[in-house]
Amino acid sequence: MSIVRNFIQDWSRYRKGIEDGGFHEYEHMWGMVIDLDKCTGCNACSVACYAENNLAVVGEDYFAHGQAMHWMRIERYWDEPNLGDKASKDTQEHGASFMPMMCQQCNAATCEPVCPVAAAYHTPDGLNAQIYNRCIGSRYCANNCPYRLRYFNFYSYYETSWPSPLDMQLNPDITVRDKGVMEKCTFCVQRIRTAKSDAKMDDRKIQDGDIKTACQQTCPTSAIVFGDLMDHESDVHLLWHKHQTKLGTPKQDKKNPELRGYRLYEQLNTEPSVTYLERVREV
Amino acid sequence: MAEHTAATKDIDEKIAWAKINADVLRSMQNPRKGYWVALAFCVGLLSIGIYAEVHQYDIGMGPSNLNNPHMWDLYISTFVFWIGMSHSGTLLSAILHIFHADWRKPIYRFAEAMTTFSLLTALLFPIIHLGRVWNMHWVVPYLSDRGIWPNFRSPLVWDAFAITTYLTASVLFLYIGMIPDLAICRDNVKGWRRKLYTFMSVGWRGDDRQWRNFRKTYLLMACFLIPLAVSVHSIVAADFAMAIMPGWHVTSFPPYFVAGALYSGCAGIISLFVLLRYFFKFEQYMTLPILDKTCRLTFAIAMVWTYLNLIEFASVWYGHDVTSKEVLLAKFFGPYSPFFLTMLFFGMILPFALIVPKIRHNMPLIFIVSILLNIGMWLERYMIVAPTLSLAYHPWTWGVMWPSWVEWGIVIGSIGWFGLLFLIFVKVFPSVSMYEVKEMVYHRRRVVFDDAEERVMKPSRQEGS
Amino acid sequence: MSNGKLDRRDFLKVMGVGGVAASVAACDGPSYITSEQGAEQVIPYLSPEEYVIPGKGVWYASTCLQCPAGCGVRGRVREGRVLKLEGNPDTSLNAGKLCQMGQAGLQNHYNPDRVTAPMIRDGGALKEATWEQALALIEEKTGPNSGISGSRFAWLTGPTSGHQGVLLKAHLEAMGSSNHFVHEVINTKVWQAVSRDMLGQSMPTLRLDKAKLVLSFGADFLGTWMSPIHFSGQYGKFRSAPDRGMLIQAEPSMTLTGANADLWVALRPGTEGILALGIANLLIHKEKMDASMLPAAARQLIDRYDVATTSSNTGVSGDRLVRIARHLKNKSPSLVIAGASAAGHAEGYQAVAAAMLLNMVLGNVGKTILPTNEFPFPQLKPIEGGTADLGRFAKALEAGQLDVVFYDGANPLFAAPGHLKLGEKLDAVPFKVAFSQFMDETTARADVVLPVASALEDWGTHVASYMGDETAISFQQPLMEPIFPGTRSTGDLLLALIKMRKPGPFDEIDDFYGYLQSAIGTIPGAIKGDGEDEINTQLWNHILQKGVLEVPAETTTFETSIPAITLSDHSDNAGYPYHLVPTPRAGFYDGRHANIPWLQEAPDQITKVVWNSWAELHPSMAARLGVEEGDIVKITAAGGVIEAMAYIHKGIHPEVVAVPMGQGHTEYGRYAQGRGVNPLSILDPGNDGKTGEMALYGTRIKVEATGRAGRLVKTGATETQHGRKIVATITGDQLRRTEGS
Repeated sequence: MSIVRNFIQDWSRYRKGIEDGGFHEYEHMWGMVIDLDKCTGCNACSVACYAENNLAVVGEDYFAHGQAMHWMRIERYWDEPNLGDKASKDTQEHGASFMPMMCQQCNAATCEPVCPVAAAYHTPDGLNAQIYNRCIGSRYCANNCPYRLRYFNFYSYYETSWPSPLDMQLNPDITVRDKGVMEKCTFCVQRIRTAKSDAKMDDRKIQDGDIKTACQQTCPTSAIVFGDLMDHESDVHLLWHKHQTKLGTPKQDKKNPELRGYRLYEQLNTEPSVTYLERVREV
Repeated sequence: MAEHTAATKDIDEKIAWAKINADVLRSMQNPRKGYWVALAFCVGLLSIGIYAEVHQYDIGMGPSNLNNPHMWDLYISTFVFWIGMSHSGTLLSAILHIFHADWRKPIYRFAEAMTTFSLLTALLFPIIHLGRVWNMHWVVPYLSDRGIWPNFRSPLVWDAFAITTYLTASVLFLYIGMIPDLAICRDNVKGWRRKLYTFMSVGWRGDDRQWRNFRKTYLLMACFLIPLAVSVHSIVAADFAMAIMPGWHVTSFPPYFVAGALYSGCAGIISLFVLLRYFFKFEQYMTLPILDKTCRLTFAIAMVWTYLNLIEFASVWYGHDVTSKEVLLAKFFGPYSPFFLTMLFFGMILPFALIVPKIRHNMPLIFIVSILLNIGMWLERYMIVAPTLSLAYHPWTWGVMWPSWVEWGIVIGSIGWFGLLFLIFVKVFPSVSMYEVKEMVYHRRRVVFDDAEERVMKPSRQEGS
Repeated sequence: MSNGKLDRRDFLKVMGVGGVAASVAACDGPSYITSEQGAEQVIPYLSPEEYVIPGKGVWYASTCLQCPAGCGVRGRVREGRVLKLEGNPDTSLNAGKLCQMGQAGLQNHYNPDRVTAPMIRDGGALKEATWEQALALIEEKTGPNSGISGSRFAWLTGPTSGHQGVLLKAHLEAMGSSNHFVHEVINTKVWQAVSRDMLGQSMPTLRLDKAKLVLSFGADFLGTWMSPIHFSGQYGKFRSAPDRGMLIQAEPSMTLTGANADLWVALRPGTEGILALGIANLLIHKEKMDASMLPAAARQLIDRYDVATTSSNTGVSGDRLVRIARHLKNKSPSLVIAGASAAGHAEGYQAVAAAMLLNMVLGNVGKTILPTNEFPFPQLKPIEGGTADLGRFAKALEAGQLDVVFYDGANPLFAAPGHLKLGEKLDAVPFKVAFSQFMDETTARADVVLPVASALEDWGTHVASYMGDETAISFQQPLMEPIFPGTRSTGDLLLALIKMRKPGPFDEIDDFYGYLQSAIGTIPGAIKGDGEDEINTQLWNHILQKGVLEVPAETTTFETSIPAITLSDHSDNAGYPYHLVPTPRAGFYDGRHANIPWLQEAPDQITKVVWNSWAELHPSMAARLGVEEGDIVKITAAGGVIEAMAYIHKGIHPEVVAVPMGQGHTEYGRYAQGRGVNPLSILDPGNDGKTGEMALYGTRIKVEATGRAGRLVKTGATETQHGRKIVATITGDQLRRTEGS
């Protein structure tokens, strides 16, 4: 009977299943800025992510099948569409264009409404969370992610990925995922939770810099800035502000359209929490 | 041929009621060698599917070759295909029943069975494609101490509701429509069958009150089923249309899917029509005029589907959504183009064969055509699912993926499963509605009493000679 | 801590016990344990051992040994296991940052293919043995009664420094030998030689962050050159508005640094020096820069390289030369550096010297190239490694001078070119001992294998060869108990070997830890407390907390001089028309990290290939050969043949084929073995005339299509953005309008 009572009491919560999409005024709003002009494409963030988040090494064959698990994926493009036809035809004049891609933690995430069991949902602090033990593996979320940043456990990777004693390195703060579960970048939610509880123990508010994501912490050129967008003193907020990118609007109303901040596929109205700063080249 | 003279009439009106009973009951008895071969074949196909599924269950979704952009593939396209097949029965029984198209009567029973079994087959796919099958019940809302309900905004949850509702309704519809026939069976058999039919015919005596109630119930179910059939495929279309992916995010998908469903359902009916007619010697019931009408109906639906298809192309083309356009162009010219062009040929050009009487009356040919139409329809679903996943917004993850033996095995297994269910059905239940065929004969012959069979048989022979 | 002494060993033991107790309590707590039994196991949670807070990670500082740069790291330790490495923010060298190799130090430590017990060659095969047996055999072969002494004995090691270096030298001294060969494929020895000759010190401080333009001749300072994380940090500042710097990279095949250049210039291998002089020529004659500080000989040399000569030699168009010179003139101060692809030729020294000459013409010396403080303890200074020593080693072997060779931290059998025939020569050495964590190519052919502790299990002190502003000793401390009880600390082993050979000052020292502690106490000018004990404790605690100890250093000044530079023109080779570039990449480095699954699965930065080797080709070369991506090409040099799958892109000179270093291991565990090819194996013989370093980039090849295709596994289905706004690029002008000063 208590179950029934529960349901009646919390009816609206159960009815909605998950939060409505779109931007909310939360207590925290974790966001990121990646300066593509500073990013060198060195892979340190990607390997740090493997180390921090128990990402499986799938091996050559599964990698060839597109079943790799790199939450932090460094993409490399050879062309520069924004520079027009200035590029040389026979040499790579301006180097390569690197793009670190991790879950964009959209505020109007397309993955969330389609999950049948509400495993992809929005946390009250603006994270686009994936609840592993609620996931049934319908993979609808990954299909509906325009950035293709969700990774599925096609196998029980743990069986082969960490032969002893490699398994001793596994981070006990987070799980090792079994087959059939969708996973993705969490903005190092375990670090956020630890910092929150530490701050609570010390009876203070979380300060900018208390939380560093694994990729940010290791980034040799400090191209990645992470923090709370609700904290108006935080570096990440100041950068968003400086480059006039805002949450909660599909179209950025920039006073100066040349400012470097942009979000990927903003026109899709997914409201990503990651702002990229445009790469610069002297031409 | 003698049948040609009867071409203007759906069925030979001179068939005696007793003969109808006898013919149909005969079809349910004494399986011949061919039946066992077919059964073994279906079991063989099914075991391939079971083996593949067990392998996949054991190891994970990896062996299916699914990968990061291609999270869905054959499972979902075959799911949509079987859902489409299930629209045949509804169309023939419910819609045509309401429109008083009497020619449907000899063939609606197996069409309804096809509906039910297609749904039972289709139902397997969303389950099989889950990464954690063992938790599939989580999409259904039930009171549990987890205190979590499914996400009612997800089209997959709508799917679960729609399919289960549709399945329940179509099983009921099939069963209710069968009650008078089950009573006939009950009166003609012994042993376990008698027990079964006695139980299932729920005391049918054929009195007026029962017939009145039966008619009302049947009509009510028919009315109930039609919106359900439309909604179930609209909801399946919503699986795609609700996503933001180019090539899926199409407003016209629900009617397009319903049209495609009716199309493939009708083509499926033609295939089974030919098979039953041949194997059970149902030439007198499954007559060429009925086939003609079915073919014409199929052609009409094919044209509706073609129209909706062209509308989709046009709206993508003039919509100037770059990614959608890329997907469309890739379908025409990319690695999937053989499949896509085949689909267009089978789906748009081939139905014109149905308006040629010579083809319609050539049983092997019309059978092949109907199978090709369904292959086209299957390809249509595959061409909806795969190219979009191969080629969406983010170029870095573009690519082509070909299904592995596991995926094919499960698709093949589903055909075996469907065939198996159908083969069992035709031997356990009457696959031609006896009482409704009798009605057809009745209307023309005004023969009222069942026990006058001898008298009826003789004059009819005299009249015919 | 209150008693003033903290023994890390005890502490680690405590930690191990604590971890076990915690897990036992967690597993069995609620079920069948009586209160008396349970009390013992539950106690660690209630009043845990010192420092052990179950579920709470504690950070300890140490030093990264994944490459010779010597970055400071901090390891997160929880329940007795080290879980994550981060850069140590207390160092100025890497300022809290770490590269992918550093991150993957964990998988070096936890590698499943580590050697776990000593092995002795017995009847042709290595068989497991006890430490007593192994050490007894070593004593028999190298002890005082072995008859081996002097030049019959040699150490072949990787670069080393600090107190391990001291012990190594002490052992050599005890053996009476001076044969210390230090091998390192990816090194900056030529740069150091040039700096020493031209500036008076070998490791001047470089300030990218102060430069407005960096012109780099193949110096992959973001990937493998000198101290990549230090320079990456500087690069971050260099790329910051309002004065965003410009990077020009000239090299035969694109490195990570080249991939980040504003202007990437493909040039013919071996013509870096000519390019530098050609630019100097333009600066002097076209941009009218003052070159009065140059001696007449240098000016004459520069005058030789007008635009036409430079252009025809280097393959760089005249327009581009003019553009580079203009940028250099306009953006001052600048910085010119030269790295592996400039130095790896027979005239490598000359090319690097030409680059340094350019710095002088541009007036960068003293602005972006600054004198480095003198490290005060000469005995702890880094013992630099290079490839010249490999040649010397091979010569010594050929002459039959060596009876006993000890290896540590070097894998010469993998890295040596085939023409050295090192394998055969080493087989002729009667007794070889490998101090090794892994069964690599060299270890597999040793007579005794001594399994050593990983970098995260061992003590040590390190002095980085490039230190920049900070003069410091970096400390390495164990982050956890050894995983395999059969492994031993290299320092302990060295001490044992010294004691075994000769009585001396080390006899009173029990182990390496004790040695370090006592040695640190003697460092003058370090943190002082009251009383002798206090000194030690405070200093030691400081070291353990910070991981680095800044030492007082003397400032220095440059003494510039300009040597004679001679460069020959580019010559064609009809038989072998093309050039081979054995690309060093952060990741596998010289091949030592090929056994780390994270790094195998981390896509190569440029080609995005994983788990394999590839051959980079220019589209024009690919068209000529008729190959497409994934097709296998055959690369023939005078010294051998390798085959690799083609990857085609424009970031390479049309006459060059680049094959990455690192793969092609025949041993080295499950992740490395039998993958890809090793370009080092087919290198042509040839050394830099001045330093003797191998001409790594001087190999001439011919290339053929094999007609076969392989499966090139890489991430990314496309090379282009298909017109989407993914990586948006703006021009420098635009940036100056919005974020400029």
